Amino acid sequence: MVSREDRVKRFAHFMNWVAAASIFGMMLLTTTDVVLRYFRRPIPGTYEIVGFLGSIAVGFALASTSVNRAHVAVSILFQRLPPKAQTFVDAFNSLVAAGFFGILTWQCGALAEDLRQAGEVSMTLEMPFYPFVYGISAGCAMLAVTLFVDFLDALKTFARR
Amino acid sequence: MSPITTGILGIVLLVVLLFSKMSVGFVMAILGFVGFSYLVSLEAGLSLIAKDFFDIFSSYSLTVIPLFILMGQIAFHAGISRRLYDTAFKLTGRLPGGLAIATVAACAGFSAISGSTNATAATMATVALPEMRRYGYDMRLATGTVAAGGSLGILIPPSVIFIVYGIMTEQSIGKLFAAGILPGCVLSLLFAATIFIRVRRHPSWAPRGPSVAWREKIRSFAGVVETLILFLLVMGGMFFGIFTPTEAAAVGAFCTLMLAVIRRQLSWRSLLKSLVESTRISCMVMVIVTGATVFGHFLAVTTLPMALASWVKGLPLPPPAIMGVIVLVYLVGGCFMDALGMIMLTIPIFYPVALAMGFDPIWFGVVIVLVTEMGVITPPVGVNVYVVKGIAATVPLETIFRGALPFVISLCILVALLLLFPNLALWLPSLMR
Repeated sequence: MVSREDRVKRFAHFMNWVAAASIFGMMLLTTTDVVLRYFRRPIPGTYEIVGFLGSIAVGFALASTSVNRAHVAVSILFQRLPPKAQTFVDAFNSLVAAGFFGILTWQCGALAEDLRQAGEVSMTLEMPFYPFVYGISAGCAMLAVTLFVDFLDALKTFARR
Repeated sequence: MSPITTGILGIVLLVVLLFSKMSVGFVMAILGFVGFSYLVSLEAGLSLIAKDFFDIFSSYSLTVIPLFILMGQIAFHAGISRRLYDTAFKLTGRLPGGLAIATVAACAGFSAISGSTNATAATMATVALPEMRRYGYDMRLATGTVAAGGSLGILIPPSVIFIVYGIMTEQSIGKLFAAGILPGCVLSLLFAATIFIRVRRHPSWAPRGPSVAWREKIRSFAGVVETLILFLLVMGGMFFGIFTPTEAAAVGAFCTLMLAVIRRQLSWRSLLKSLVESTRISCMVMVIVTGATVFGHFLAVTTLPMALASWVKGLPLPPPAIMGVIVLVYLVGGCFMDALGMIMLTIPIFYPVALAMGFDPIWFGVVIVLVTEMGVITPPVGVNVYVVKGIAATVPLETIFRGALPFVISLCILVALLLLFPNLALWLPSLMR
């Protein structure tokens, strides 16, 4: 049976693949634009699309980066704490961060809705902004879920000790 | 609480929470949000975070970061780092400490296509440590060299720190990159000299390598040609104003990929691996940038940076002495904080001071990068040392720190040289259009 943690992790890594594809797309699009510009046929709106892809690249990688513990943290004093205190601090940190990214999910959603109703679009391609803001919101939601699972994990370890 | 007191409390809390092992970017974003909401209003705080996250994540100028990281990752997985090392080894293997000197040279070469100090340290640790161990090198010298050599990655372009500095201060990234080249070369020479002197004192630390025939040495140059081409393409394109930095990074990554594919050095598996790794590293960097942006907006409403700047400016000291004080602050701060976080937090404070005292913004950028470079190899929070420790698990942390410490002297010498001869940094950018 696939545990809840595993399912969360798998989905986080799946989102990371979408992010990776965005970076690859940024590379291809920009390179093509540079080459075509040489023949006086630049791709209009490259600048905008690359920015949008960038937001997906970072937003969708948030959760997976957290699962892999790749966000930089300072562990020099933390390591000196007794194990029980370590788990407690871990649980506390995960819960606070999960709460923060929960709020951010909600706020990005609200911002997206505002942008949609105001009909804000980009300058050259007239592409709407709001889907990408929803994208960031989704990335934050997934990060909040991952952090909450970390919190539950830490609680379990804490109870066992 | 007055805004300034709130600001000071915010910074104290920041340090405390950083030591609780919460992710650097998260801590800055959360504290910035709480502080901003306290000083302005909750509503303003809520819309601040959504806006900051969207603005930074979708910023075109910052897309240069994932692209340069991708370029470095592909280069690593295609074995370019290994070939650089082989060439350098064949050229210097016979010298006292030759393998260590080769490591510095290879680090400098790899920095020229990789944007991050951690990536350079990790890459060269993987490649060079096993070799140095095989030839019986003392691990203190070997690990210290890799940690210090990796720090060249921030100074020799492309460099993520220069990009962030350039965006924050609205300086040309191309000019900053150009400004880093000469100091980077001088620093590599100083590092090599450090190794030479240390090995002269302790010959047992570094047994001599095998001798290599001249013909073999010349032939081995094939291993560095591709790196040279890539570097010239990326830097040349920016230097002559053909590309924006993002375009240079994209073209650089694409050409590295093509080179690797044509030479059949990159499997599908390694390509996917480079992509996934780049995504995570870029995400980590961008989260720190975003967190620091939120925290920076909080600091701005506390008026603390302005107060501090006018205090420093009012000190009865000549500008070079004030510069010395700033350098000292970075040295101490760098011991405790990650280089990028440190830059993001302090630039809003010290950049106006430096400008007010008539220092050149590009020159100031190079000095700041150099000083944070010391931070990545000094205890207790020397990121590069941890990276090397991650790869050389059996070597005690203290040994690596002790091994890296003599290289800090080289860094200090370079800072002094830059203070005396600003043109060391400013000559190349002055040639640019």
